[in-house]
Amino acid sequence: MNDTSMTYNDTVVRQFSIMTVVWGIVGMTVGVLIAAQMAWPVLNFDTPWLTFGRLRPLHTNAVVFAFGGSALFATSYYVVQRTCHTRLFAPALAQFTFWGWTLVILLAAITLPLGYTSSKEYAELEWPIDLLITVVWVSYAVVFFGTLAKRKVRHIYVANWFFGSFILTVAMLHVVNSAALPVSMLKSYSAYSGVQDAMVQWWYGHNAVGFFLTAGFLGIMYYFIPKQAERPVYSYRLSVVHFWALAFTYIWAGPHHLHYTALPDWTQSLGMVFSLILLAPSWGGMINGIMTLSGAWEKLRSDPILKFLIVSVSFYGMSTFEGPMMAIKTVNALSHYTDWTIGHVHSGALGWVAFISIGAMYFLIPRLFGVEIYSKRLIETHFWIATIGVVLYITSMWISGIMQGLMWRAFNSDGTLTYSFVESVQAMHPFYIVRFLGGSLFLTGMLIMAYNIYRTVSSGKAVATVVSAPAAAH
Amino acid sequence: MMLSHLFGLFSNPQQEWQKIRDENCTIGKCYCSYVFLLAAIPPVSGYFGTTLFGWEIGAREAVKLSPDSALVIAIAYYLVMLIGVFSMGFVIHWMGKTYGAEQPLPRCISLAAYVATPMFLVGIFELLPILWLNFVVGLPALAYTVYLLYSGVPIMMGIPEERGFLFSSAVLAVGLVALVSALAATAILWGSGFAPQFVD
Repeated sequence: MNDTSMTYNDTVVRQFSIMTVVWGIVGMTVGVLIAAQMAWPVLNFDTPWLTFGRLRPLHTNAVVFAFGGSALFATSYYVVQRTCHTRLFAPALAQFTFWGWTLVILLAAITLPLGYTSSKEYAELEWPIDLLITVVWVSYAVVFFGTLAKRKVRHIYVANWFFGSFILTVAMLHVVNSAALPVSMLKSYSAYSGVQDAMVQWWYGHNAVGFFLTAGFLGIMYYFIPKQAERPVYSYRLSVVHFWALAFTYIWAGPHHLHYTALPDWTQSLGMVFSLILLAPSWGGMINGIMTLSGAWEKLRSDPILKFLIVSVSFYGMSTFEGPMMAIKTVNALSHYTDWTIGHVHSGALGWVAFISIGAMYFLIPRLFGVEIYSKRLIETHFWIATIGVVLYITSMWISGIMQGLMWRAFNSDGTLTYSFVESVQAMHPFYIVRFLGGSLFLTGMLIMAYNIYRTVSSGKAVATVVSAPAAAH
Repeated sequence: MMLSHLFGLFSNPQQEWQKIRDENCTIGKCYCSYVFLLAAIPPVSGYFGTTLFGWEIGAREAVKLSPDSALVIAIAYYLVMLIGVFSMGFVIHWMGKTYGAEQPLPRCISLAAYVATPMFLVGIFELLPILWLNFVVGLPALAYTVYLLYSGVPIMMGIPEERGFLFSSAVLAVGLVALVSALAATAILWGSGFAPQFVD
């Protein structure tokens, strides 16, 4: 039996795990800087590459694709090996995905501040970088599905379904949305025009949320929550049902980003209806996560990681309820283009995505280096600082968003607008300061994590784990 | 006795929760002696605040609501809070089974009612409807509400603290969902011709 003496390929998992923490700090630092610029515009320093317009795409790309992406690479490579009882397929290609992805991020960090952008939201990178992303992503798919193909158990665990759908759908979204006609090395024009371009953009944009930031992270949830709670998934049947419901429904929800635009009205209504339906599969996942965790309450005293997981699933439930509400046309008429949207995005991105990634990293990194975490108390501190940060962020954006929406639409009896735009900006000032504080707290939590992880890693060394034999066939 | 637990919840919350539990209040008594009175603070303050003082945006003269319009909003506001306390109590009662804490409905409703105390009290600041001021005073009130929730759930529901942490987090999540529903409902009403009437 040669198989059992083989070890898992965790080198690439270690690389991506460490970079998750590093990119998290980088991306959130840029976020805190631009939040400060909203409150105090003088922080632009009259330097073009330090302005909000250039740094905002850098912030979103860094947190979504560098931080979130690294967390997804690390966890999917870890989970697919464990649940398939086999070593990663094509280790050289896996190595390539790490260095290729790192190169993409570095190129983004150079081109975006210089102002090179395709102007597509969450897909700002110019065509040569898009091609590199495609190559890296196809390699990722080959490694992941190759590992699935050589699995030693017949059953494919549900986390892999989520990871797999995330990899396939992101490939499709990226290729279709980034189709462009290059005019030079650093400039291209979208293959679509007018409202079609907007539709493709938001078909991509919303599914980047739905598959990159949701399906992939549900994959994380379905492995790390049962592992950390040391309990089976509450309902495996529910996990499979809500997987298919989610995959089917998400893809239609994009038009809710284009309410009351030139997009045909029926398309807008279709997007709204599918967004409302989406609540059901989303809450299926939340209920499964919460109920799995609920049985593990005895461990809460000694295990601060569980707190991150609980809060992440709660925020997932809250923001997947808020999303459908905001997709209702009447609500959207008020909320769109306001800070309410920013608050909603961050309750998902900080509360759900970042919290579950942080929880997964606190689980993974000590195991990958064969040591206990340096300090549980620091995890606890991180948890509370981050939670307060998220709450400050969301509440300030709710209030300023609704205030903006109401001020913009207020008109006098003669039909003229009551407020000028700059008056609404002025009214936002205190809330922008609170948002900056919330973001700073969240970043502080990440710095505490970095210190904790640094002490952990430096006291351990990379360990090779033997591939575990599958349990007897059932 | 009216408002008997009000001060204890601030001076010695742990002990006060124990007292509330031992009291075994009925729903009617809980509402008459506590909720009806305290829940009136925000709408009454809001009514006078928006009609008499108004709020200023930038360097303009104050915006005020017409008394009729403010009255309708104040009544709706009051009803929403009365129903809100009952609904939260009902949800706590309903979720109790999951967390191994089956308690009678009246006890769950008193838990919801007493947890909301800081939010009711801070409603007095709606006399001055200045958004950032209400936000600044509202945040510590909110924080104390959350503290009361986490300290009250284990005692009132009779479960260990760790289990209470999970239960409280679930209650908090439901509360957030309710808050978002209220935001969305307001936006829908406002957009459907039920906007408040301002005094020009």
